[in-house]
Amino acid sequence: MIELRHIYKSYNVNGNINHVLNDINITFPTGVNMGILGLNGAGKSTMLRIMGGVEMPDEGRVIRQGRISWPIGFSGGFAGILSGEENCRFVARIYNEDVDRVVGFAQDFAEIGKHFFNPVNTYSSGMKARLAFGLSMAIDFNVYLVDEVTAVGDNVFKKKCKRVFDDRRDHSSIIMVSHSMKTIEQYCDKCAILTKGSIHIFDSIKEAERIYKAL
Amino acid sequence: MGLRPGRIAEYNKPMNSAVRELTKGFFAQLHVIHALILRETRSRFGKYNLGYIWAFVSPLSTIALFWGMFAIGKRAPHAGMDPIGFLSTGFLPYYIFTGCQAKAGAAVQSNKALLYYPQVHPLDLVAARAILETVTLTIVFFFLMLLNTIYTQHLPLESSLQTLSGLGLAALLGTSLGLVFCAIKIEFPTFDHLIGPLMRPLFWTSGLFFSVSEIPGWTRDLLLWNPVLHIVEFTRDGWFRNYDSPYHSYEYVLLWILGLGFVGLFLEKLTRRKI
Repeated sequence: MIELRHIYKSYNVNGNINHVLNDINITFPTGVNMGILGLNGAGKSTMLRIMGGVEMPDEGRVIRQGRISWPIGFSGGFAGILSGEENCRFVARIYNEDVDRVVGFAQDFAEIGKHFFNPVNTYSSGMKARLAFGLSMAIDFNVYLVDEVTAVGDNVFKKKCKRVFDDRRDHSSIIMVSHSMKTIEQYCDKCAILTKGSIHIFDSIKEAERIYKAL
Repeated sequence: MGLRPGRIAEYNKPMNSAVRELTKGFFAQLHVIHALILRETRSRFGKYNLGYIWAFVSPLSTIALFWGMFAIGKRAPHAGMDPIGFLSTGFLPYYIFTGCQAKAGAAVQSNKALLYYPQVHPLDLVAARAILETVTLTIVFFFLMLLNTIYTQHLPLESSLQTLSGLGLAALLGTSLGLVFCAIKIEFPTFDHLIGPLMRPLFWTSGLFFSVSEIPGWTRDLLLWNPVLHIVEFTRDGWFRNYDSPYHSYEYVLLWILGLGFVGLFLEKLTRRKI
């Protein structure tokens, strides 16, 4: 479960203060796959980073229960000069997991071949996302925070992602941000829309889609 | 590091939950620091063929240079100490100090990607780098002393504990100064260019190649404000049986460490949100 209470976050861009999140109150219950829709720049990624503990809000509290992943996405989390394998080793260690098992799983899942042993700064963003996804799947989280990442790769990879999530439905859930309704429809039971600094939950995805299209 | 959270909880059954949380947190932090040290070792030494050897090159070459200058100038170090031992007890604490300062000072800048994982705290980055630097240079120190003992057939060691404490004080002083620099750099990135000029005088004033007992009068009083000089004298006093330096005070060094450490941690709290 993740609960956000009175979250505020603003950025100062060249003297203009941009209020990205303005008094966000929302609870993500355990076992519900939630999608968060929002236009580019609406603050989706910022919100996900705050939920993951990467960034601190200006004000407010984040209550986290259970094992929550880091925000899985295209950027962040990998050191460029180290290889994919070394990065996986590091993550396995800080999460206190069996290093060889995690590295093996991530390597199999990401399917990036010998690139796995090359420095991450030689990767394309698609490869990075594949690795991040494979690595996070190797660790048993209760909640996976996903930042658009499933949009990468060919259909085979997408199907594989979907299959792993379906296998884990009973003990882990997913919170996904995206600007594409299609991905959210595929993975999520409920949907919320983040716009102009505030968030609204919709019980049916259909209704959320109707509102989102009108934005 | 083989302990898993479940097992830790079992060991601590009688304790109340606050203590249990604390121990759990402590072990989780140890895992993180352990992982960081391994990774830092890999990125610093793993890339080159001879890896770890390079850690020896810089201190050894400087000590060899000053040894040569001693030999040419027919200048013997103070109180009949052998030159390599004298220089090593000066340069290695100094290198530990500057190394920790530089590594700790740059820890957050060069490892920002790692802060992406919520259990990695900026202070873990600082601790991991300082530990790696200190352990590496301590190994270099004892390796040098071993070679020197074989070469001179003489081991003047007075107190291994005091010698090690000297190296430890150097590490703590360097790390706490690095912490302060680290925070200042987050606020004012250009400060980075000032650190070099600020630190350079310490090379000449820390007694690396002289003993403070050789310096007369008010110059000595002035030099004794420098805590690194105290560390060097303290380490030397610990190593050489026949060297008694009346001028060093480890309490003075501890005051510096406490002061800088306090300021560093305080600034870290202030600047945390800006990282």
